[in-house]
Amino acid sequence: MKRSKTAALLLMSAAPLLLTACDRSESASREGLYTSVEACVAQTNDSSTCQQAFAKAQKDAATTAPRFANREACEASYGKEQCAERNDGASHSFFGPLMTGFFLSQMLRNGSPMNGFNSAPAFRDNSGGWQRPAAGGVSGGVYRGGAATAMVPINAAPNRAVTSSRSGFGRFGNSRGIGG
Amino acid sequence: MRRVITAERPDWRAKAAECGFGFHTIDDAPYWDESAYYAFSLREIEQDLEAPSEELHVMALDMVERIVGSEQHMQQLAIPEPYRDWIAQSWRERQPHLYGRMDFAYDGHGPAKLYELNYDTPTSLFEAAFFQWQWLEDQLAGGQLPAGSDQFNSIYESLVEAFGTIARGIARPFHFAAVRDSVEDQGTIAYLRDCAVQAGIDCGTLAIEDIGISSDGRFTDLDDRVIGCLFKLYPLEDMFREAFGAYLPRSGLQLIEPPWKALLSNKGILPLLWDAHRGHPNLLPAEFDAGGELPRGWVRKPLHSREGANIAMHLDDGRELRTDGPYRDGPCIRQACHPLTAFDGHYPLIGSWIVGDRACGIGIREDSSLITQDSARFVPHAIVEETRGILIA
Repeated sequence: MKRSKTAALLLMSAAPLLLTACDRSESASREGLYTSVEACVAQTNDSSTCQQAFAKAQKDAATTAPRFANREACEASYGKEQCAERNDGASHSFFGPLMTGFFLSQMLRNGSPMNGFNSAPAFRDNSGGWQRPAAGGVSGGVYRGGAATAMVPINAAPNRAVTSSRSGFGRFGNSRGIGG
Repeated sequence: MRRVITAERPDWRAKAAECGFGFHTIDDAPYWDESAYYAFSLREIEQDLEAPSEELHVMALDMVERIVGSEQHMQQLAIPEPYRDWIAQSWRERQPHLYGRMDFAYDGHGPAKLYELNYDTPTSLFEAAFFQWQWLEDQLAGGQLPAGSDQFNSIYESLVEAFGTIARGIARPFHFAAVRDSVEDQGTIAYLRDCAVQAGIDCGTLAIEDIGISSDGRFTDLDDRVIGCLFKLYPLEDMFREAFGAYLPRSGLQLIEPPWKALLSNKGILPLLWDAHRGHPNLLPAEFDAGGELPRGWVRKPLHSREGANIAMHLDDGRELRTDGPYRDGPCIRQACHPLTAFDGHYPLIGSWIVGDRACGIGIREDSSLITQDSARFVPHAIVEETRGILIA
């Protein structure tokens, strides 16, 4: 079959359309960046998940950390004493940053975490920003595999700010829209 | 591929109202048109549309890698200098993308020819993914289509899967934004948001005009929350030349489609693709336009033109067609003229949807002229077994 098995609408229709198998309970996700298992437990109260997430991140760090040909290049990005020599198992050695934290994300349903989690190693660069391997490094499914060590920033910045002006976008809009 | 006249569902307007499809008629002109459909064989779909779409998508992404490493290419695509490093960085980070649409000239004979990539702000999504799907189910149930008819359309499933896959790479809060007064664009983001919520992502909507800027250069919503990620159904190249554009590179705002899509939603990609893959069966010869008279057999398109605006076409037989629009002054490309084929006096353009990196469906827009504009109507399609097709034709 070349078409979708269902075509559900949750919000656009007055009543959920063609939705049979799923319930409508609110789901969301909880994400955190932690520098230790203890900090994770303090936040989530879930020691088992935090330990597993840490262990998985540490294991993944060996394969997904950014790779540098030498220590100097690595330290230029991640700071002094923040890099270690690694080996990919095929006698190629390279340098990569030390894991300085881990990222944990869990789906919530009705406020409680569901089974399973995603975790990733986190690295702090020498300007204080946090990064983790891009999700695109995972191949299969609707996305092709990307470069395994592409890094994405973790947005750990404070998330409120006073707005000073609006209407800086939209000048070229009209009622027929912009679509192509 | 055939155009088949068929009976409309008597209650389709009620069904459209029920699912929030408000723009089936635009300015009193029909947009959704189910008085006919296009019938394809499975071979036409899989070999002539699906496989080439996947291949061209890979070629396009490979081309991004080349462009970000070349000041000359950035210049050819007229990417403003202040945005070049930001765009290149967004590619190096592989900032997640969601969807795009390729437009093809195809009539069932010979290879589909790529007209352009709509990789930044593609619309006609809801009607392709949902309403067309519902049409097929209803017409199958009502016996208007041969039993076993199918449709190339897993757009919905692919969207939910794509949102689920990139969910943890989307910064929060996550908002969908479009021009306030465009019913069509608002409908498109409403549908995308619906799919995102179904993938478990908490998100809201915002008029593009309501986006704010803080004194330290971060983008805010109406509650003064700093926007983490913005899905903007609004052209990147327009954002670049607007008042808030200059804040984008240093604002920390994540965009979907990401900045690197500015390289693909640009007609300049067409000559670059042709240079790299000269003679590819799905590509038309293309070159950057140096101005001057447009010879017979060529079409002139601005780098940034949407909805068929500002296109000049000089047909082999000497006829010249021209559309008006707002994209008068910018640089252009030329593409070899490969006119659409008429079906009962209608000119169908095939929109092939790519969600994530998967070719997952088509939507057909039909116009009464060779240049498909915003006057085009959306006509559904079905995959019909050849032998049965002959019986009902």
